[in-house]
Amino acid sequence: MEANNINRRKFMKLAGMSGAMLAIGFETFAIEGPKVLKKLMAEDFVEGTPLNPFVVIAEDGTISIMATVPELGQGIFQAIPAIIAEELEVDMDQVTVVKSSASRKYGRQSIGGSRSVRTMYQPMRKLGAATKEVLIEAASKKWGVAKSALYAKSGKVHRTDTKDFVEYKDLVATAAAIEVPKNPNLKTKKDFSIIGKETVRTDILSKVNGTADYGIDARPDGLLYATIERCPTLQGKPISYDKEAALSVQGVTDVMEVTRSVYKNKNTGIAVIAETHYAALEGRKKLNVKWDNAEFSKLNSESYFREMKELAKKDHLNHKDQGNFNQSFANAASTLDVVYEQPHQSHSCMEPMNATVHVKEDNTVEVWAPSQSPQVQRQFARQLGIPDDQAEEKIKVHLPFLGGGFGRRSMNDPLEECFQISKELRKPIKLIWTREDDTTQGPFRQATVHAMKAAFDDQDNPTGVQHKMISEAITTQFRPSNGKIPFEVMEGISTHYDFDNYSIQYGEYNSQLPIHWWRSVFGSTNGFAHEAFIDEVAVKAKQDPLQFRIDRLNSEPRQVKVLERLKKEANWDKKLGANEGKGVAIVESFGSIVAHAVFLKREGNQVIISRVVSVVDCGIVINPNQAKAQTEGNIIYGLTAAMKGAITFKDGVAEQSNFHDYAILRINEAPRDIQVYLMENDENPGGMGEPGLPPIAPALVNAVADLTGKRIRKLPFDLQKV
Amino acid sequence: MANFKLDINNQSYEVEAEPQTPLLWVIRDEVGLTGTKYGCGIAQCGACTIHLNGSPVRSCSIPVSAASNQKLTTIEGLSEDNSHPVQKAWIDAQVPQCGYCQSGQIMSAAALLDKNPKPTDSDIDTAMAGNICRCGTYHRIRKAIHTASNEMTNGSK
Repeated sequence: MEANNINRRKFMKLAGMSGAMLAIGFETFAIEGPKVLKKLMAEDFVEGTPLNPFVVIAEDGTISIMATVPELGQGIFQAIPAIIAEELEVDMDQVTVVKSSASRKYGRQSIGGSRSVRTMYQPMRKLGAATKEVLIEAASKKWGVAKSALYAKSGKVHRTDTKDFVEYKDLVATAAAIEVPKNPNLKTKKDFSIIGKETVRTDILSKVNGTADYGIDARPDGLLYATIERCPTLQGKPISYDKEAALSVQGVTDVMEVTRSVYKNKNTGIAVIAETHYAALEGRKKLNVKWDNAEFSKLNSESYFREMKELAKKDHLNHKDQGNFNQSFANAASTLDVVYEQPHQSHSCMEPMNATVHVKEDNTVEVWAPSQSPQVQRQFARQLGIPDDQAEEKIKVHLPFLGGGFGRRSMNDPLEECFQISKELRKPIKLIWTREDDTTQGPFRQATVHAMKAAFDDQDNPTGVQHKMISEAITTQFRPSNGKIPFEVMEGISTHYDFDNYSIQYGEYNSQLPIHWWRSVFGSTNGFAHEAFIDEVAVKAKQDPLQFRIDRLNSEPRQVKVLERLKKEANWDKKLGANEGKGVAIVESFGSIVAHAVFLKREGNQVIISRVVSVVDCGIVINPNQAKAQTEGNIIYGLTAAMKGAITFKDGVAEQSNFHDYAILRINEAPRDIQVYLMENDENPGGMGEPGLPPIAPALVNAVADLTGKRIRKLPFDLQKV
Repeated sequence: MANFKLDINNQSYEVEAEPQTPLLWVIRDEVGLTGTKYGCGIAQCGACTIHLNGSPVRSCSIPVSAASNQKLTTIEGLSEDNSHPVQKAWIDAQVPQCGYCQSGQIMSAAALLDKNPKPTDSDIDTAMAGNICRCGTYHRIRKAIHTASNEMTNGSK
């Protein structure tokens, strides 16, 4: 395989660039066979003719495709270029994936809601296909033959009548002048050669040798380091602090107040800026800030849950109201009436919140944005008096790789803080939140209470089910709900079981505690309560929980197919030993359906998760290996929430601060046997970043019930104490 | 402030720092090797794992003064051309997602295989339990360690 040469001129250009760019590195590395990993390049030194903002073809034949949305582990860095390459008719090993900067020319670059492939699949196919068509038209002009006598493959246009071909690089000059067709022909699935195949991710190499550039790795010349002392109750105002003591630490250069926007709240912190990160931290220790906490120190998790449970006793807004649940409950021969609860969670990205910003003396800006929503140019421009139409020219925003996001990085509070400091000092500033800041300051995943009821006839057949969900909402933190159910809060209650009387309600709980999008959001909490309770209903009805679901999901044929596949792949009907248990759950969220089967085994004093089998229907899959990777990751993230972490508040202060008391599942606790199966169909792509999460906690507690007879209705729980 | 001589990846560096500065920040900010990551600062997550005289240590919890004149290896020094069996196995299994913890994971795995070329699953649990991965790549990490082990003990995959 040819090397991805970087010529001398490009190298000089590269060498003159700042640290984060250099961190990308520039050698080529090959592993066996066709798996050739191309080195990453930055947008700034791509050479060639752009046929559109995403595709650039150089005279030397290099085909560069821009990766324009932030990569936080979901594989989008590969997925979007792969979709373009498919329709452009180039092979992935001909492509150099280029990390773009933030720019409106790339459209929307924010990520969340497992949305990227779902929303970009068709537009990016069209873009690739239209680009291919102008290249074919250029070949048609060159040879004077009809377009219908030509076809494109592997970066060349071929004639059907002769064996002649011409490479894209020799057509690009002509093609660039041809108008791009609006409705190009798209390939059919059977002709796909990249989509649906396991392609190697181009970012992987940089992630095994330390060269991947994360936001925290930005190192512009003259960098100063900032840390911020924050109010333990989040929203209290500083009464006093010892600025001089902080400044007396060698290396500390400045101390200033900064503001952090968390929805409507403006939280004040005291920033210490120094020549080294260590000096900044030492200066921070000397601040001795006195906070006015009075208003915010009343918050306690205990009262928080007590009040939510109180609220659950009332009726609330109907999400679903089929038949007459109250009547079925009143007339029932027997009932179930239980409450599920789940605590606040921290996102705990491995890369703590950080930002690097340089507001220069000439009022231009360079930003390294570890953000899920990095198009901050206009926001910053307005604060510097720069007109919108000059924002991109004056404000350069690098998109580093993100060391996790999970929703947390869709809030740009660290960038906002860092911008304020740099704007004041006109120096490059790197702000790093400590892990303690990251864990205690939120915003957090919502905590929820679910009041679950079921009515049964005298044969234990269920006649009615009710799910009342009580929690804060995310969107009402910045806009009123106007008496409607906020769109986000019902995610994951998507199994439309065939009950005659079926009621789903939402009651909003108001609190000062900030909550935010957290991987699968309300899917994570709703999926747990709903699917664990359905299991209770199935068991009381003396039916196999998996078959019970199949029998009662007549309106959801895709869900039934997933369950049938799971039954087969998990060998569900095989009788288990006395020390074994199994549980199943299915949730549709973010456009995809995932069912998990969890198998437990008691070995001596230990209970181990011996096997997790998953079936995923996410429609057309771009990269099966990555769809599986996301599902594996969701299983682990969901198991952590089920068995490990909880953020609890006492007198307004988070009681956990770092990984010693906010534990994350470790390798010795993780299931060794995880099998993920993907359904094959022609449905449009669904999301993959989140849908694997909601069904894992219910499948786990359902397995615990199968093993022990004990129902877990409050998370987290200790698997070793069941 | 004091001067320290550090031997990192067989190169010698002179740095000026407060003696109590965690080695992590000196490696990242003074030496400029940013592959070693900050995750927790209290030796709980393993993102900052490097080798000190061949053994895995958490560089966030070692003062720079204690690292002087010792042999240090960071992810950048594991191989010159990404050819360490652990790196190759990591690529083969497509282990990283966000990738942030993976320098630490790889350094822990390389140290394990150096001392125990044929680790059992239980050995892997013990050696790798100090490294948190929030993306949940444990399943692939385990697989990749076995792959690397096979290559190292058989000479080929």
